[in-house]
Amino acid sequence: MTDRLESKHIARKVGGIRKLVLILLSACLGLTALLDIFVVEKIFSPLVYLYIALGTIAVLYGVPPLYASRRLIQYYWVRARRNRLAVAGLAFILFLILLALIGPFLTADPTAANFEEKNVPPQGFTIEESVYNPETQQFTTKSITGMRQHPLGTDNKGRDLLAMIISGARISLLVGLFATGIAVAMGTLIGTISAYLGGWVDNALMRFTDIMMTFPFFILLVLIVYIFGAKLFIIVLVIGLTGWTGTARLIRSETLSLRTREFVMASKALGASDSRIILAHLVPNVISLIIVIATLSIPGVILAEAALSFIGLGDPSVTSWGMVLRAGQQNLDTAWWVAVAPGIMLFLTVLAFNFMGDGLRDAFDPRSAV
Amino acid sequence: MEKTILRVKNLKTYFFTRRGIVKAVDGIDFDLLKSECLCLVGESGCGKTVTALSILGLIDTPPGRIVGGEIYYADLNLLECPREQVRQIRGKEIAMIFQDAQSALNPVFTIGDQIAEQIKLHSGANNREAKARTVSLLEEVGIPSPEEAADYYPHQLSGGMKQRAMIAMSLSCDPQILIADEPTTAVDVTIKAQILDLFQQLKETRQMSLLFITHELGVVSEIGDRMVVMYAGKLAETATVAELLNNPKHPYTAGLIRCLPDMTQAKDRLESIPGIVPSLIDPPGGCLFHPRCDKALAICSQKEPPPVIVDGEHTVFCHLYSHESG
Repeated sequence: MTDRLESKHIARKVGGIRKLVLILLSACLGLTALLDIFVVEKIFSPLVYLYIALGTIAVLYGVPPLYASRRLIQYYWVRARRNRLAVAGLAFILFLILLALIGPFLTADPTAANFEEKNVPPQGFTIEESVYNPETQQFTTKSITGMRQHPLGTDNKGRDLLAMIISGARISLLVGLFATGIAVAMGTLIGTISAYLGGWVDNALMRFTDIMMTFPFFILLVLIVYIFGAKLFIIVLVIGLTGWTGTARLIRSETLSLRTREFVMASKALGASDSRIILAHLVPNVISLIIVIATLSIPGVILAEAALSFIGLGDPSVTSWGMVLRAGQQNLDTAWWVAVAPGIMLFLTVLAFNFMGDGLRDAFDPRSAV
Repeated sequence: MEKTILRVKNLKTYFFTRRGIVKAVDGIDFDLLKSECLCLVGESGCGKTVTALSILGLIDTPPGRIVGGEIYYADLNLLECPREQVRQIRGKEIAMIFQDAQSALNPVFTIGDQIAEQIKLHSGANNREAKARTVSLLEEVGIPSPEEAADYYPHQLSGGMKQRAMIAMSLSCDPQILIADEPTTAVDVTIKAQILDLFQQLKETRQMSLLFITHELGVVSEIGDRMVVMYAGKLAETATVAELLNNPKHPYTAGLIRCLPDMTQAKDRLESIPGIVPSLIDPPGGCLFHPRCDKALAICSQKEPPPVIVDGEHTVFCHLYSHESG
């Protein structure tokens, strides 16, 4: 009982502080932005502003409720912890997020070419490279040893592989989170509306979903990239706007059983509007399903972006794993590590999200015997 | 004093199913007076709940449709009102309580949040006011330590407490009319008595009209002022509770009263009315009750019984008392 009252106290206290911090932060960011534009050049890049803003909002709105309901979190944690793979997945994802957040500040510029140090193998490896000597008109073998400045080696343009991988982590997470966010939000809305309203609305929305499902998303993407140019933003948008169909179906089937529950009738009897019932009563009831779907669909999205970059349809101005993979695949015989590193990262990331998604599903499902 | 607040006239709610038209409510009339408790009594499936849902405009269309009649709230015909206006009336002017409070509360929110939502929705109060109102409502319905209880989720409360929370929620906007659909069916006897006391008390302190739906005559005698007996979507008998329980005219009402277990006499078997409620898709002709009626006359299977005024407020729909049959 005391910890219940205490957490209520915290929630109330945090509410006030939160507003203050948000105002202060936006003032600071605004001032820096003004300085950035008019006085000094480039304090932060525009993306950094976005990260700081999103990060602060996530911390302010995410941590207090987690802390306030820590007993529940602890319960889920105890359930989830028994699934070792899920915990390993979570650890890897946290590591990846940390890498993406602070890594780029610590490493070299991933796009800086340096032909003096090209094709350097990872530290601890030595390779023989045949070099054409124009003076003697002969091939000589030169051995290159990995060096401390490039722990993972460099590619054929002398770009630091570690920096590229870290930059790729940021891009992959960005694409994964944002595209999944768009897809899951759309899927949830369409699924709940469809199930709740039923009748011709349901029919129309579900047939539209069918059409979207059968529509070859790849052709759409190629078309849109052709029209608007390969920008990361556009790629994220297209993946998000085409990837909601499965979510909509799942959410719809869950909502179909929810809407017959008496509390829906009761909220109607007490004067709630349709939109209110959908947003305030049905969506919170499917939130655990949404979390699981989102976690399980992130790897697909990350792979889709990597595949696009791999075939050369990605945003050329950002270094993503798919792009590094593509560069490495062309020099597989001389510099195997360039392709292997992003491959392993993709593999581990996809695996980690899948494991965590499975773990979450088991933890949220009261019927599963964990 | 004797002022009608809700008038239901010749209400007909039919359900159009694949197997035929189900006449769930077929020509019901009754008046609900200001600050009285009117009980709607009948067996399961006789159209009590459908009547209540029709008043609030909550019949799912399709398959259901209100095909005829008028429902006046004050001077407003609810059946001709725009949907949005009816929605404003729901909860604020006419509130409803459901049988099973467990499933009528949203499991993912605390009861305090759910009540506060209702207050904010209808009165536009801010968070703090809504919170204060919530606590005072919970106190009014007799929930101990209401401050704390507001932070409980439905599953953390007992059945009786949930029903009280549900009542608090429906009272949150000071409705003129409270429709209670078998609110005591899902709780045990001691809680039932407490809840009935609560209704009695609320009716008196708030001067609120209560439309109480139940199948238990014991509950009716406890709380009701007047009662309406329904059978298979039609009226059987209406009168004051005291009159009806002491002097039932309709064989169905009399049968219902006989079915009550009597604790003073040890009987081998409980009495029952033979047969079941007829199929509403293919109802028998004439009086719907005649196949089960032990006093049925020849005319009963041919002609629908007209209303017969026994005296004053006591009206019965039965050929036994009409002049045609002598």
